[in-house]
Amino acid sequence: MGTPVLTRLERLPRRGLTVLSLQGLSLLVPGGWSNVTSAEALIESVIGSNDPTLIAQVRARADLLSRARHEGYGRALSVYDAVNRSQHATAGLRVLAGVSAGVPLLKRMADLTPPGDTLQAVDLGLKVSAELLAFTQVNGLPGDNFADFAAALADYGSEARLRMAALVTFDGLLPLGDQALQRLDGLLGQASASQLRQLPAYGRMASLMPGRGDQAHMGFVRRGVAQWVGWADGLVSQLGLSGQRAVQALETTLGPWQSRMNQLAVFLDAFTDTYAHTGVQAVARRLVERAAAEI
Amino acid sequence: MVMPRPLRWVLALVLAGGLLLGGAFLLPFSEWLPGGTVGDVPLQQVVNGSTFNQLFPASDPAFRVTMSQEKRGFSEARLKQGDQLIALLAISDTITAPEALAKFEQAREQLKGWPLVEQGPHASALLMADRFQVKVIEQGNSLDAAHRHDVLEEFDLQGLASLATPVLPRS
Repeated sequence: MGTPVLTRLERLPRRGLTVLSLQGLSLLVPGGWSNVTSAEALIESVIGSNDPTLIAQVRARADLLSRARHEGYGRALSVYDAVNRSQHATAGLRVLAGVSAGVPLLKRMADLTPPGDTLQAVDLGLKVSAELLAFTQVNGLPGDNFADFAAALADYGSEARLRMAALVTFDGLLPLGDQALQRLDGLLGQASASQLRQLPAYGRMASLMPGRGDQAHMGFVRRGVAQWVGWADGLVSQLGLSGQRAVQALETTLGPWQSRMNQLAVFLDAFTDTYAHTGVQAVARRLVERAAAEI
Repeated sequence: MVMPRPLRWVLALVLAGGLLLGGAFLLPFSEWLPGGTVGDVPLQQVVNGSTFNQLFPASDPAFRVTMSQEKRGFSEARLKQGDQLIALLAISDTITAPEALAKFEQAREQLKGWPLVEQGPHASALLMADRFQVKVIEQGNSLDAAHRHDVLEEFDLQGLASLATPVLPRS
């Protein structure tokens, strides 16, 4: 399926807005984050050896695995890509909504564009579902029962803490305020299935979602979110995340924003690829772990 | 406007060819094209990862075993001491990776009669019934070779060897 995962990893930017905003956020997440963009370094850290023949073997196996369509690694990446494109489009709609609400002549436009908050909530809901879909594509359904699966998910969550913190902060706390997680279910309730259709990512993900039709998929998104919110709430209180703290952390890398959370959120959505960036890194790690075990 | 006959034929062929190519590339036929599976080995020949799950070492409060990845021919778990990840445990079916068997030919060590090799300073691999590879990959620095061999012994090796019967499970 197109480019192998490890090649995608090597093409990730080493600097730029995406990396800067993740670095800023990592100040709030203990354990930090390093921007892994070298396949060799990743393989080395998994097998704990810098023997070039071993590294080459792992690399060859990983490329073979990511080319096999049934293995789902490539499919997970295409879900992330779709969500990423959708995020840019949503940011555009939100800018439009903001502008058109302020200008009298464009009031009619404001009726056409959905209220920013609902759309943002649907976008976040779709991202959470994408995460769940990508997880099952990459890891299968580990274990023999639901408890095993839940444990595997929780484990993955703690491994991908920065990724999850970025999701909560950039797509929840900044655009929707500190009560984002509490408001989320209500906002999704107001959203109609047609708003799901407005997000380009949905088209790509629909075939992977259980159930048929927009209504069933909206149900899947809401159930996925309901599961996730409890865990995310724990993460927020554990790390003490809030919109204000996030803005302060981001200001250290992105420069002063005068604490305007909403504009910062739209800016991040429009110009950074944090979701796909950390997604590629997470998939690459799981892929390398498997390749190392199979050589 | 009347088209010359040869041109009509060319046009018809181009359209038919385009339709065929479009069908092959755009419609979801790709699932059936070669290259969908690892090493083009048919899925039915590969033992499903879920059969490996119960052969992993049992989890106990001090050393937790959490399943992390399960695919056809592969299952992986994380071994944790408290919150610290200390090793990756994996069982894989070498039918999709025959090159992995080569290293066992020079194996000098044995564990319960099965060939055992060290792969670099942090990984130990055991080959069961010439087919299933069991591997412990240390993460961090708390599991030396002797400890890794202890972990290998904790797997249900007997159960794993018995999976390699001539009649392969179909699912």
